Amino acid sequence: MTCTAAEIPVQSPPRGVDWRPSPAVETLAPIPDHALMLAVRDGNLDCMGELFERHNGPLFGYLSKVTGNRAAAEDIAQTVFQRMLKYRHTYRDEGSFTAWMYHLARRCATDHFRRSSAAPVAVDPSDLEAHADQSQGADESAASRDDHALLHRALGRLDRDDREVLLLSRLQELSFAEVAGILECSVGAARVRAHRALRTLRDHYIQMQKEPLT
Amino acid sequence: MPELADARLDDRAAAEVRSHIEGCPECQAEYAALRQTLAALDTLPTPTPSQRLRASVMGHIETEKLTLRNQADWAASIRTAARTAAPRREPWVRYLAQAVGLAALVVFGFVLGERTATQRQLADLRARVDTMGQLVEQSVLQKRTTGDRLETVLTAATERRPDERVIDGLINSMAFDPSVNVRLNALTALYAHADQEVVRAGVLACLPRETNPLVQVSMIDFLVAARAREASPELAKLTTDDKANADVRDSARRAIDLL
Repeated sequence: MTCTAAEIPVQSPPRGVDWRPSPAVETLAPIPDHALMLAVRDGNLDCMGELFERHNGPLFGYLSKVTGNRAAAEDIAQTVFQRMLKYRHTYRDEGSFTAWMYHLARRCATDHFRRSSAAPVAVDPSDLEAHADQSQGADESAASRDDHALLHRALGRLDRDDREVLLLSRLQELSFAEVAGILECSVGAARVRAHRALRTLRDHYIQMQKEPLT
Repeated sequence: MPELADARLDDRAAAEVRSHIEGCPECQAEYAALRQTLAALDTLPTPTPSQRLRASVMGHIETEKLTLRNQADWAASIRTAARTAAPRREPWVRYLAQAVGLAALVVFGFVLGERTATQRQLADLRARVDTMGQLVEQSVLQKRTTGDRLETVLTAATERRPDERVIDGLINSMAFDPSVNVRLNALTALYAHADQEVVRAGVLACLPRETNPLVQVSMIDFLVAARAREASPELAKLTTDDKANADVRDSARRAIDLL
């Protein structure tokens, strides 16, 4: 059974703290993000906590790959959630929460780069060390780290626009319609940009695999 | 081919493209390279954010809730308290409502407490901030003089190992007391507890609410001393805020450099 926004007590009681989903809904299906955000818009700010729990990981992962910098990604993620609260009144009834969130994230990232006036660097060796898969064998793990480093460098060679469209469409598993909404372009243009970005990444990645190690 | 590699084609279109690829060595090579690139992309490790992000965002949510309360119930209670001329009836309805609200908070906290350790911490933070809001309300209703409030803050500052309630009271005074002197002394008292996450989050949450340049600069100095790197976005906003005092903007700029 799919839980729709109409089944959810979006109209919150006066005190936001008291809002809870009905047990029947909670046990059958999670509340959709869209319904939670509508509740936030209507003044139920506790629902923002749940949205944070659901999305802070993927959003941070996306931002850290776009920026190549953990600290910057964390700063931008913080700003994104703050803006969600600040601009909650602008959230639309027919909107997609995920698309809206990444739309805000893209703008926050642009602001961040404008302020810092530093080009994004897509390789942070400490990140790669910290997040390497420790369950693998030593050789395999080292090879995997090398491969990840190579791909990070290849991603770093892409334009930021290309990197964004690729990460949104592939890693965040958004539809081209959602990506188009985030990038403020047509669905066809989003598709073409994603394909072009993938081909460019492939060229860099394959080329770098052939380059001798320095 | 990118759509085939990305599994975005329907069965019929996918079969057509596959059929072409099987007979075209050039496309086979291209398709293999695309698949290899996508596979590598999918295995990139996904880093996880630190607890600072959680504390900062949750603190912001609680601040926003307090602001909402300020605009509604809290403002109403201040107006009621200000009517001192006529004797007031016992506001038992409000006490009952507060009791129900507290009970709901306890139930809410208990439900959250059944979840993970992280969520228990969040429930604790929420409960503490809600307690703060109620203390504010009571403080205003009691209409204590500035001298009394200052004395309370100075007494709290001398406690070597204050409990959570004292810390909350100091944050509360720093956030809401109408006297600049009381707010500054509360902030000074909090220096000794700058290692606590809730204190740093409290100062950071109060910074955008604060309007007095002297207190703003002191809060910025506190955040630098506490090495609160999570304050950078808020400080960056201050540097470009035309309404902010020039000294405050300069302090924010220096703080960003130092952090």
